[in-house]
Amino acid sequence: MAVYIQGISNISIQNTFGNAGIPQPVWYSEPYVRCIDPDFKSFLNPMETRRMSRLIKRAIITAKASISDSGIEMPDAIISGTGLGSIDDTEKFLTSMIQNDEKLLQPTFFIQSTHNTISSQIAITLKCHGHNNTFVQGGISFECALSEGLLLFADNKIRTALVGGYDEMTPSYFKLLNRIGFWKKEPFTSQELQNSKTCGSMAGEGSVSVVLSTSKDQKSYAEIKALELLYMPEDISKSVMDFLGRNDLKTRDIDIIITGINGDNVGDAIYKKILSDLFIDQAHAWFKHLSGEYFTSAGFGVWLTANIIRNKILPSFVSLNNIEPMDFKNVLLINHYRNKNYSLILFSAC
Amino acid sequence: MTERVLVTGMGIVSGIGNSVEETLISLLNGKTGVGTVKYLNTNHADIPCSEVKLSDKEMFSILSIPETAPVTRTALMGIMAAREALSHAGISPSKSMRIGFISSTTVGGMEKSELYYPDFLENDSRNDFIRVHDCGACTEVIADYFGGFSYVSTISTACSSSANAIALGSNLIRHGILDIVVAGGTECLTKFHLNGFNTLMILDRALCRPFDASRSGLNLGEGAAYLVLESELSASSRNAKVLCRVSGYGNACDSYHQTASSPDGKGAALAMKQALEMSQLKPYEIDYINAHGTGTINNDESEGVAIMNVFGGNIPPVSSTKAFTGHTTSAAGSVEAVISILALKEDFLPPNLNFKNKIDKLTFEPVSELKRDIKINNVLSNSFGFGGNNTAIVFSKFNLTTN
Repeated sequence: MAVYIQGISNISIQNTFGNAGIPQPVWYSEPYVRCIDPDFKSFLNPMETRRMSRLIKRAIITAKASISDSGIEMPDAIISGTGLGSIDDTEKFLTSMIQNDEKLLQPTFFIQSTHNTISSQIAITLKCHGHNNTFVQGGISFECALSEGLLLFADNKIRTALVGGYDEMTPSYFKLLNRIGFWKKEPFTSQELQNSKTCGSMAGEGSVSVVLSTSKDQKSYAEIKALELLYMPEDISKSVMDFLGRNDLKTRDIDIIITGINGDNVGDAIYKKILSDLFIDQAHAWFKHLSGEYFTSAGFGVWLTANIIRNKILPSFVSLNNIEPMDFKNVLLINHYRNKNYSLILFSAC
Repeated sequence: MTERVLVTGMGIVSGIGNSVEETLISLLNGKTGVGTVKYLNTNHADIPCSEVKLSDKEMFSILSIPETAPVTRTALMGIMAAREALSHAGISPSKSMRIGFISSTTVGGMEKSELYYPDFLENDSRNDFIRVHDCGACTEVIADYFGGFSYVSTISTACSSSANAIALGSNLIRHGILDIVVAGGTECLTKFHLNGFNTLMILDRALCRPFDASRSGLNLGEGAAYLVLESELSASSRNAKVLCRVSGYGNACDSYHQTASSPDGKGAALAMKQALEMSQLKPYEIDYINAHGTGTINNDESEGVAIMNVFGGNIPPVSSTKAFTGHTTSAAGSVEAVISILALKEDFLPPNLNFKNKIDKLTFEPVSELKRDIKINNVLSNSFGFGGNNTAIVFSKFNLTTN
């Protein structure tokens, strides 16, 4: 069963929302940045959404925009990935519970702290009774959601699906992750992160919604051919070879390899080894210098890949090695999270 | 052609026992785990809960983990249950197998975060617990205790999470992606959860009374449970003892309200119908329904109406076992999967404790007394979560000759 990307929407730290294609990049030199949000009031009824967290608002906006982009009316399934859910409201509930000694607490903050609130609020907004699930597997939460969607397609249980990745970065959580070495401590600029000699990355946040369908048309972005999730693989280069082999492809058949290189020299060395082991002559690209790093940043990677394939252009600012791709037929997206969770996604032109 | 999914092992810890065997004894003796909290340090100690009857220190010792290790109570309970399930199935995970671990949790490492949050913000003394705060990290702590898993995932759909973990695990086996999946969930009591449910005003100050006209809320519980799901080929190649078959499951969204179920239980009925359809069973072939039955005014009536709509005039015996275990939230789906499989294996109907009077709107009342020597071939287990995340699973007796 072939599965196509038919619609996509992205709120990120770039000017991605509402722009067709890939906009000119915004470069950053600070480790903590927030999304470039659209005007929520233009997209949401302020009365109905006044209690919603910022993350849930973003998720509903991109969900609706991706559906409108796709031309479908109602998805058969809604599957979301989020590393932390509405962490802002979680922190509010937690802080007031500690400060007020378990008294005078707001139920709204508790309700919205529950990770599946995003997916279910999208369902309530769309009035969708289909399959609904939420994946919370750290740095591959988005890919887990996508992977379940592909299984449902393979079962003929669904013909369309809305898959999304939603995370926000609050000042407090940024601070916590900074304590454990997630972010760059030295000065940097985002466009040069790939050459960094130090650990840590630039933080980001975002909301990416993707509509998948078994039907394609002239507007289709790309086909998702296969996806594999791996936990602590012993030899990742071999795993990549096996993955391609199972899909009847050789390494030379891959036109572009898009990696999750994010400026963390330890994690990036793993991608660089895969590229030099297997794909020395092909076009290499990256996206986390645009999205920043967050649990569902792979959603941004899928958005970028979909646009590259549909427009048949690899923008110079996402190229790592300045090699022009021979074609835009097969693209491999490789992501890993702290060398534990890996995802491999194979895309093809429609 | 897809593989059939067998259950070849299970493990559980909850308020009614620290193993499958202890759980069975409590179920047969009507022994509840709900009572006064001993391990959770809260100002709401007057609210009854069902705690696992082991301290963290005892679990660290049983599992030979140093007490200084950044392992939360949720992870400790998860390791306890997964260890029993793997040992029951006779499996040691290794990278040479195609084996996955799918867990579920709602608040991940919150049990320690709520204690150490001021330190998280101000100093480096508790950094190890920052790392294990998110839900996925909690799953990885459990997986890494055993090693050998090549696939790890975490689901969070509130109180249906671990039912969805079992459904995903089954899908991965049916499609030949993995041969064995350890699937379920774990959640310890936290102040965060207790206070959260308290703000929603759905906690009963007395023992919960699912499906009773006088019900006035749920009792929170803690627990962990995992099933070992295995392909028929893998199970037969190693002569594994088969407990039952996962014959069908359904997932639908009520899409009604963030914390309330619809009056007609639309999402619940859809999930049950899909599970029946996938298992190719007619409603009359279901011999027992292990209901979600939380004891809240809203859930039990909505679920009851949904059961009436799906089963019409032939409603099978129904009981909620939450008056035994408390509502173990994310773990409830897999805790009740273990109870459902015990009912199936041992041919008994677990009683719905504390039931006296039928709900007016419902045509049926739950099984209020233990019933033994009842032939049970198919059990339907319901798990419903906030946001209308509804999942139903059918477990069926497995017989090599007749299946």
